[in-house]
Amino acid sequence: MNEPALEIRNLSKTFSGQVVLDRVDLVLGEAEVHALVGQNGSGKSTLIKVLAGYHQPDPGASASVAGRPLQLGSASAAHDSGIRFVHQDLGLVLELSIVENLMLTRPYPRAFPGRIRWREARLLAARMLARVGLETDVRRPVGELGLADRTGVAIARALPDPALGRAVLVLDEPTASLPSDEVERLLATIRRLREAGNGILLVSHHLDEVLDVADQITVLRDGRRVASTAGAGVDHDGLTRLIVGHDLMVSTGREEAVASTEAGVLHLDEVAGGTVRSVSVTVRRGEIVGIAGLTGSGREALGAMVSGRLPRTGDLIVDGTAVAPADPAAALAAGLAFVPGERARYGTFASMTVRHNVTMGSLRRHVRRGRIDARSERREVQRWIEELGIVTRGVDAPITSLSGGNQQKVLVARALRLEPKALVLDDPTAGIDVKAREAVHQIIERSTESGLAVLLVSTDSDELARLCDRVLVMSHGRVAREIRRGSDLSPEAIDHAQVAATAA
Amino acid sequence: MSTQASVRPTADGGHSEDIAGRAGAQPAPRLRQPISVVLGRYSALFLLAFFIVVFGALEPDLFLSASTFRITFSEGVVTAVVALAFLIPLAAGTYDLSVGAMMGTSLVMMNWFGANTDIPIGLVAVGTVVLCCLIGLVSGVIIVKFRVNSLIATLGVSQVLSAVTLKVSNNRQITGAFSAGFTNLGEKIVWGVPIVVLYLLVLAAVIWFVLEHTPVGRYLFAVGSNPEAARLAGLSTTRLTYGSLAASGGIAAIAGIIYAMRVGAYSEQAGPGLLFPALAAVFFGASQFSGRPNVWGTLVAYFALAFGVKGLQLSFGPGTFWIQPLFQGMALLVAVGLASRQIAQTKRSRRTQAAAAAAEAEQAAAPAANDGGQDAASAAEPNSAGKSVTTAKSVAAGLSVTAEESEKRPASDPATPGESTETAGVAVDAAK
Repeated sequence: MNEPALEIRNLSKTFSGQVVLDRVDLVLGEAEVHALVGQNGSGKSTLIKVLAGYHQPDPGASASVAGRPLQLGSASAAHDSGIRFVHQDLGLVLELSIVENLMLTRPYPRAFPGRIRWREARLLAARMLARVGLETDVRRPVGELGLADRTGVAIARALPDPALGRAVLVLDEPTASLPSDEVERLLATIRRLREAGNGILLVSHHLDEVLDVADQITVLRDGRRVASTAGAGVDHDGLTRLIVGHDLMVSTGREEAVASTEAGVLHLDEVAGGTVRSVSVTVRRGEIVGIAGLTGSGREALGAMVSGRLPRTGDLIVDGTAVAPADPAAALAAGLAFVPGERARYGTFASMTVRHNVTMGSLRRHVRRGRIDARSERREVQRWIEELGIVTRGVDAPITSLSGGNQQKVLVARALRLEPKALVLDDPTAGIDVKAREAVHQIIERSTESGLAVLLVSTDSDELARLCDRVLVMSHGRVAREIRRGSDLSPEAIDHAQVAATAA
Repeated sequence: MSTQASVRPTADGGHSEDIAGRAGAQPAPRLRQPISVVLGRYSALFLLAFFIVVFGALEPDLFLSASTFRITFSEGVVTAVVALAFLIPLAAGTYDLSVGAMMGTSLVMMNWFGANTDIPIGLVAVGTVVLCCLIGLVSGVIIVKFRVNSLIATLGVSQVLSAVTLKVSNNRQITGAFSAGFTNLGEKIVWGVPIVVLYLLVLAAVIWFVLEHTPVGRYLFAVGSNPEAARLAGLSTTRLTYGSLAASGGIAAIAGIIYAMRVGAYSEQAGPGLLFPALAAVFFGASQFSGRPNVWGTLVAYFALAFGVKGLQLSFGPGTFWIQPLFQGMALLVAVGLASRQIAQTKRSRRTQAAAAAAEAEQAAAPAANDGGQDAASAAEPNSAGKSVTTAKSVAAGLSVTAEESEKRPASDPATPGESTETAGVAVDAAK
């Protein structure tokens, strides 16, 4: 029988009069990887949510799984028919072991009087891991695993019992935060699941992976299906055009490297600590220096050391002032501002408003006789909202009511309002949509015009190639290679250097 | 600004336009809160009014007399000051359980020096406040330097302080330590109001001003909200923690001094017994008004409970000594229960809002890309008009989420990543 694994017909969804999905069809074949792509706001997430039973579809939609009709808009019906979801946030408890994580959603094998049969549980867990091609000690805490392996564990947990037949697995942005070498491993896992006969619906922004792994690609734009094509029948540019509807605006058009005669503003001299062995770099006025590197190369810790979140050894000099280690306040005082990675954890104050989040750390200019002048504070924040194009209901809206990209802009505003001499950004566009990313890039670019020195740590090679005057590729805790604009700077060159440096 | 124009249409023209469109169609595109949450924020006021009406009807002569009001207020002042002492470190996410014992320490100091030395009592009072500030700093060192959970650290400190008071007082009452001039400072009635109530109001006003209108207050709440982000924003989280605990110690000392003025004697039950009612008032109060620990919520909550207790005692006679702990305990449970419900409801309503926001986002796609420039400009106005939206979820609400709960949540509720990390963060703060 060649029934499709999942078939959705005529799916529409209207929110208070606004059509979000407009008669969308989607056919996921048996043992097929089907990519669902589109910009933020194209309707992908609504489609996934209808499928998960989170939203009710408009009348007229129909769906079937392996030929059996499926009632859309019911979470239990979706689950019963073997549809499983793995979200970008994997829902794993890092402190618990792999086996404990796997057993969170199913009963443990028990003996009287309720004692867990650990040996049996471990065997079961190992079998579950084997289905995604993962072999490791299941007693290890999930926190010890790399990101790709964690995703593997989440997928293993989501997969239904093989006895229940083949599954439809929905992977929602599984590679969003993976460095490129780990992406490859995850794609291998996806292929393996396909070989086992499962249908996989892959939601992703990363077109290279999509083109790499998908058999079929469905493109949504403005809630309509604009194309369904075989993965082999389209290339990167063609797919980009389908998604955007026109040619993507190319880069910020940064032309040449900053003249090396400009004065150095930010010096790192043999900075070390944790995975960072020794890094020395000088960032000049108006220069953007990128830091690239695979996970484990030291790249992920460098930004945190410069900002003072993590301890370090070695000198950090900002505009002539030496900054003590692990002291963010001292770094700020010396004129070094930063936009930390992991926004919710290190950046935003979730219980506070946009205004409080912007001005946090320096209220001096708004204090009159010991009291915060809220009106002058609001005026300043309103200016930043306009300047950076922050979409918010107002200066006093809760920060959590903003989209991720706009929360990021709030953090950028917090850094820029200090009028720093140097700015360190740690993966500033991770997990935010294309338009917000574009906006953040322009803000960074613009800020260098007035002489700001920028150190940009990023996992996104494309971002680095667009913005940076030079990119330092890290490996084994050191700078393995420097790529300069004007000679060989390109996303491919960065990717290649990252992998090549590791192999060396 | 020319650069502005270049950013906005590409970045957010679509979203802006959409919000402008919605603002035209619907009057209030803002976070709406369920009515029960809104009412819940004034529940202490309703409760106070309810008690006054009910007991006023039951015992009109006894309960509705000026002297009953006077007594209830002046009796409550000391506990209310202790509650304010608890409030300040709580804003920064630190629990100071030593406030009751600290008040006892202050009281025993005042009495001992008053009874055994000729040092002017004013000087003793100043010395007592300074000493209690220093003890607060010690708690701070234990919490910050030795990384001891604040609950444990201050619980330990409070036991040590109890030992000190027992030793100094020799476990006996101390009486006759003060001159009439001093006790008069606690008994006077000014314009029909007991003077201690005025002390409380002045103190409360100062603390309110600091917490709500100065950078220090803002920073304390920031540390309570996300200590790591606060540190990275350049705040000295350790100094803020030290400072809040020192202030807490000093205010608890003031509570002891007011008690000394009012009662004029030391008895060993005075201090530690105040911890619980103070704590109940702060937590109940944290669900009021702004929805985070706040001064006026604390006071209203405290006196609502105090009037309830007083009314019950007057209505049912002297056999009702057990009423007070029952009442305080129930109040704490109900208050924290309300806060959790508040979280749940706000979350539920936020979920529907999230759905709406998703719809909004879905709408906001490409059609606006070309003409976004103009629309973005027009969107700025409704944006700035939709101001002052406060959510009830807060430090206070977070108090009710135990660390255990939040550990389970990421697993049980993987669909809502933002929320689970948030609450986990708050719970960690609370547990810290």
